[in-house]
Amino acid sequence: MNRIDAIALWIVAALGAAVLLSGLWESPRESRRMRGERTEVVFWHFWGGEDRAVVRDVVDRFNASQDHYWVRDVAVPGNNLDVKIFLAVTGGDPPDLVNQDDPIVADWARRGALTPLDELASHEEIEELDDWLFPAARRLGQYDERYYALCNGLDVRALYYNETLLKQYGLAPPRTLDELDHIAQTTSLVDNRGNVERFGFLPDARRLLAWGAVFGGRFYDESTSRITADDPANVRALDWMTSYRDRYGADQVAGFSLGDQSLPGKTFPLLSGRYVVVMDGQWRVRDIAASQQRQRTAGEPVTEYGACPLPPPAGGQSEAGWINGNFFVVPRGAKNPEGAWAFMKFWSGFGGHETEAAQTCAAGGWIPVASAVVAEPEFQSYLDRQPLMRVFVDLAASPRQIPIPVIPGASYYDRQLRDAGQRAMYDAGAPPPRTLLEQVTERVQAHVDRTLESPDAR
Amino acid sequence: MSQHILRGRFRDAATPWLFVGPWLLGLVTLVAFPFAASLFLSFCRYDMLSAPQYVGLHNYQRLAQEIVAGEGFARALYNTAYYALLSVPLSIALGIALAVMLSWNVRGRSVYRTVFFLPSVVPIVAASVLWIWLLDPNDGLVNWVLSWFGLPPQLWLKGHEEVLWTGHFGSKDALVLMSLWGVGNFMIIYLAAIGDVPRQLYEAAELDGAGAVRRFRHVTLPMLTPVIFFNLVMGLIQSVQAFTQIYIVSEGTGQPAGSLLLLSLFVFLSAFADLDMGYASAVAWVLFLLLVVATAALFRWSRSWVHYQGMR
Repeated sequence: MNRIDAIALWIVAALGAAVLLSGLWESPRESRRMRGERTEVVFWHFWGGEDRAVVRDVVDRFNASQDHYWVRDVAVPGNNLDVKIFLAVTGGDPPDLVNQDDPIVADWARRGALTPLDELASHEEIEELDDWLFPAARRLGQYDERYYALCNGLDVRALYYNETLLKQYGLAPPRTLDELDHIAQTTSLVDNRGNVERFGFLPDARRLLAWGAVFGGRFYDESTSRITADDPANVRALDWMTSYRDRYGADQVAGFSLGDQSLPGKTFPLLSGRYVVVMDGQWRVRDIAASQQRQRTAGEPVTEYGACPLPPPAGGQSEAGWINGNFFVVPRGAKNPEGAWAFMKFWSGFGGHETEAAQTCAAGGWIPVASAVVAEPEFQSYLDRQPLMRVFVDLAASPRQIPIPVIPGASYYDRQLRDAGQRAMYDAGAPPPRTLLEQVTERVQAHVDRTLESPDAR
Repeated sequence: MSQHILRGRFRDAATPWLFVGPWLLGLVTLVAFPFAASLFLSFCRYDMLSAPQYVGLHNYQRLAQEIVAGEGFARALYNTAYYALLSVPLSIALGIALAVMLSWNVRGRSVYRTVFFLPSVVPIVAASVLWIWLLDPNDGLVNWVLSWFGLPPQLWLKGHEEVLWTGHFGSKDALVLMSLWGVGNFMIIYLAAIGDVPRQLYEAAELDGAGAVRRFRHVTLPMLTPVIFFNLVMGLIQSVQAFTQIYIVSEGTGQPAGSLLLLSLFVFLSAFADLDMGYASAVAWVLFLLLVVATAALFRWSRSWVHYQGMR
């Protein structure tokens, strides 16, 4: 072996030893990074595309607004952001601030992975926050009567309808569930072989949470801490959803099911004429405006669209539905939690930043988390430009807009409910809705009990 | 023995170790350690945030309960078995058929070979997204082609049904179709094996009056058996490990109606969505044991049909 070989071997050996050692000894916790006179706040989020520019703008405005902190935003795109953050927290090197929208608050808070906001904010601030936030935004951030997350934008679902088509049929937008069913039956197109070409309306099998709330159902009983998926109102809701399977056939319903909306090239099915009425979130307002603009430019007749709340059955709840949202969490072990809190307030509008937040929400087409932000002139003028958006913003204030219960095992609960909805609607041989929901209740309760048995790490 | 020789011997002994060192390091830290740790964790309740807590056989009892009740793990096991039992034999048959055809001496043979191998080099994410489009029940190309032959539209990825029982193609059948599209890797191995079949065997068969079919049946196929067996075992393992395409086409949930919740996705969701690494480890170990047993059984079975040249 010549000299070169010997040197190469020693280098390999040294590298190997270095890798081993770095794994064995935890690297010393980095201290807060500085940026000139300021301390850095590392902020992870999932926004890309058009939204990325809005995020950049918020960050720039914040950085220009004060001289203590410097926010560095890191886009962590793709699915599984929760796993990535989770591993960063477990590995002891979390970012200072994270934007999330998966139902993880309770699971993570219970295990001590999140910094409760009352450790960052004063007692007065927390009390003020209670009054300031919309009820849904408050619910999304609280677990065990403490704030672990600050909601920064709400995602609201309503019914979009093709107004031009409804008028052709002499129909008005639905105010009751019966009217919705009537629209569905009148405007659906079925060819002579039984294939549906257009659904007047079709309940989304994944959204029992929304329709359960409209029927007056509850999914969790806080007083007894029990799962109540089989609440009679929820059963009625799933019965109603299943009636569409019985009318059109399981295969037709499954074939029309909404797939991944984020898939490139997938147009909003309302615009492609596959539905007359469809439930979706406020982000579609942008798509509708763009489509109408294209029609105008091409000199075609412009299709009119409208939006309305989910219509309740007799004895149901108006302005009810399923809501979720984006929220900020400060992982345990964050190096600059104070800076994170300052930025959270700036973004959400809390603590006198309403004007800033109104600007952010108007730029992104996002729904504010407090009426004080909605009332800002800048946001009001945005609503004047996008009148459809007003339906969603009004709904955001409703106390009957319910998120998935903030309990340990929420994401399991969510999957079980989707699964039950899909089995009920796509499988003609599925057990009746009551049985399906009793199974969900039993499974999820067992899951929650198991989770709660384990030691509380907090 | 001089000092010099001694050092030389040490070097001779150490050199191979140093060369495999980097790989060995990876094996120990990234494979062997997690392997052992997961066995330990399968007897624990572990959410990855607090310390693991020993719970004895609890996770395995839960597995047993789910098997009895036919839910959770049992459904995932069934889904995996359905997929593996369809995709492995079909990909072997298709792989051999393609390889035989591509071994024929026709014009543009290398072009055909490239074309059929091409799908295997398409990134799995891109291919999966492509398949979502192709298999769309309403606007998909596949159903459109079916309609030329008067066949009714199939639900593919949006259906929970299984063609073996209902005659309708559902999500797992779509997954099988996707796996067949990527059969090029297997095909290449068959193609190489076909090229290795000694010419004199064919000549002898021809002299005995064997036609093309009999030559294939009695010469090509027996000579391919070692490779078929290899692909059978590898295919079984790959089909049980399939994850990426399933994750993408089911939006990470195993939908519709849980029909795409195969074991690998089930393990992933249990560990990282439900924060139940202990249970997920137990599932992974049961899966591992099942694979060991299945592979051992295949090896036993192979004695009766695999033909090794010059060995017995």
